[in-house]
Amino acid sequence: MTGFAKSGKQRKFATARQGWLPSMWRATKRHWFVYVGGIILPLILYAIFIGYPILRTLYLSLAEWNGLDPKVTMVGLNNYRTLLDDPIFKLSFVNNIKWAVLTLLFPVVAGLLFAVFLHSGKVAFAGLFRSTLFLPATMSLVAIGIMFSLILNPIFGALNEGLRAIGLGFLTREWLGDPNTALYTLLFVFGWFYTGLPLMLFHAGISEIPAELFEAATIEGANGLQTFWYVTLPSLKSVTTVITMLTVITSLKAFDLVMVMTRGGPFNQTSVLGYFMYTESFWNYRFGYGAAISVVILLLSSVFAAIYLRNVAGESLYVS
Amino acid sequence: MFREALNPHRISLGKLVYTTVTALLLALWVFPMVLTILTSVKTNAEMLLAGPLAIPQEPTLRAFARAWDVLNFNVLLGNSLLYAFAGTSLAIILALLPAYALSRFHIPGGGLIFVVLLTGMMLPQQTVVLPLYDVLRQLNLLDSKWGLIMVHGMYGLPLVLLILRGFMVGIPQELESAARIDGCSDIGVFRHVILPLVTPAVAVAFALNFINIWNEFFFALIFLNSAENLPITVGILKVTQDQYFSSWNLPAAALMMAQLPTVILYILAYRWITQGIYSGAVKG
Repeated sequence: MTGFAKSGKQRKFATARQGWLPSMWRATKRHWFVYVGGIILPLILYAIFIGYPILRTLYLSLAEWNGLDPKVTMVGLNNYRTLLDDPIFKLSFVNNIKWAVLTLLFPVVAGLLFAVFLHSGKVAFAGLFRSTLFLPATMSLVAIGIMFSLILNPIFGALNEGLRAIGLGFLTREWLGDPNTALYTLLFVFGWFYTGLPLMLFHAGISEIPAELFEAATIEGANGLQTFWYVTLPSLKSVTTVITMLTVITSLKAFDLVMVMTRGGPFNQTSVLGYFMYTESFWNYRFGYGAAISVVILLLSSVFAAIYLRNVAGESLYVS
Repeated sequence: MFREALNPHRISLGKLVYTTVTALLLALWVFPMVLTILTSVKTNAEMLLAGPLAIPQEPTLRAFARAWDVLNFNVLLGNSLLYAFAGTSLAIILALLPAYALSRFHIPGGGLIFVVLLTGMMLPQQTVVLPLYDVLRQLNLLDSKWGLIMVHGMYGLPLVLLILRGFMVGIPQELESAARIDGCSDIGVFRHVILPLVTPAVAVAFALNFINIWNEFFFALIFLNSAENLPITVGILKVTQDQYFSSWNLPAAALMMAQLPTVILYILAYRWITQGIYSGAVKG
């Protein structure tokens, strides 16, 4: 063991000359504390709790298994073939797409507009408004689901009561029981929860835009809309990418609200892949089939997760 | 811009209009919460006679007491606190050294290791839950508090790592070099230079991860079974059963009790939380 620490540059040079494995071994020996606690231990834990489960899910998706029996029967691609013919799968898949698209269209755009509006200096109490809008995003979807189940209840709910009170009684309905409105009602509740997150991220993004850019635009005589279109939006490119990916992945994860508010009903109209996977695995004990649904979720989300990670951890790839 | 600055009257009028418009839009977010508070203090008789929108005439906290008894809330509260505290602490303990290693050492393949460790954050829980269920069963940790704490620690690690590493990168190299010249080893530098400086980032990560675990539902629903192990998010589902749900004020009171701790934390740690959201999601 050498007594003094070499600079990073020297260490890198040594790597190139003497090969990867021996140099890694020497570095490990010298910095055993860093390597054992900082690299090897987390990687082992990762392998047990994340790596193995992913691979095992892939394997299970090719099998038939009731989750308890030690016997796992391999059935090849059968589960996937069954999936393609399963109407509930199609419904859940389409619902996930609707979930992502409508969340991008409403809460994310609303969050952007609120962020710009509250940053313009034209609104008093902007900080208070921001923190209020973000509060729902710190609440659990279970609590939010119960809250809106009360409000949307067809018999004593405040929404129908309010509609009747202002003479719009013809609009009242069983918001969560009507197959035509149930999913959109859930999406409204989800939007209520979600808006604060893009608001905060866009706000932080806007705060990082140099003030000179806005000043220059003002001097050039740009109005508010032009400033937004030509200065604000282009500067928010990477934040926008991150939020878009985050939103799509969050939509693919959707489960809590469905579980609490509709249990997939009425007639599976609010089923999503995350919920479908849960009922098939833990209610019908079709673990192989559930694993196949999981693989679909995994494939869909990994594309977006890759783009996301490239944005978040991108530059660090070059640092270390 | 200058013209407006010279005319304070016009600014205040414009500001008044914009502020009012924003406040009206915001009512959509505030109203459901106010309604829940009103419902929770109303008696059922009042609800039947005056409807959900009326202001309560004789506010009472009886629904809170009943919700506490029905849900066995002290057990749920204790469990949620345990999971959030222990899970977050474990995540921080597990993430400190990787953050140190990946921010201040040239580890071969370090960038790749970093990204691999982060994938746990992006992974939908449904894609790992079946084998994880099996792993926990084999370790005899299914329906056990320790099992869930371990899972939360592991799945909280990526976010904490992202926040801590981003912070550690910014610690000046000179401080570390000075310590090395004084004869500090890796352990010494970590203990005497990095740890004391990284406390603010630990606070940010703690607040954020605490809220995440407090609100977590899916893993707790799958991995736990006995009433004495459930956190609030799973235990509170009891109030959606018809017999309790039809009494209106009880579920309203229950969900307020469920969310009160994080609302308090949110108010106290507002800066940390919003900062953590940004560095955890965008900056890295």
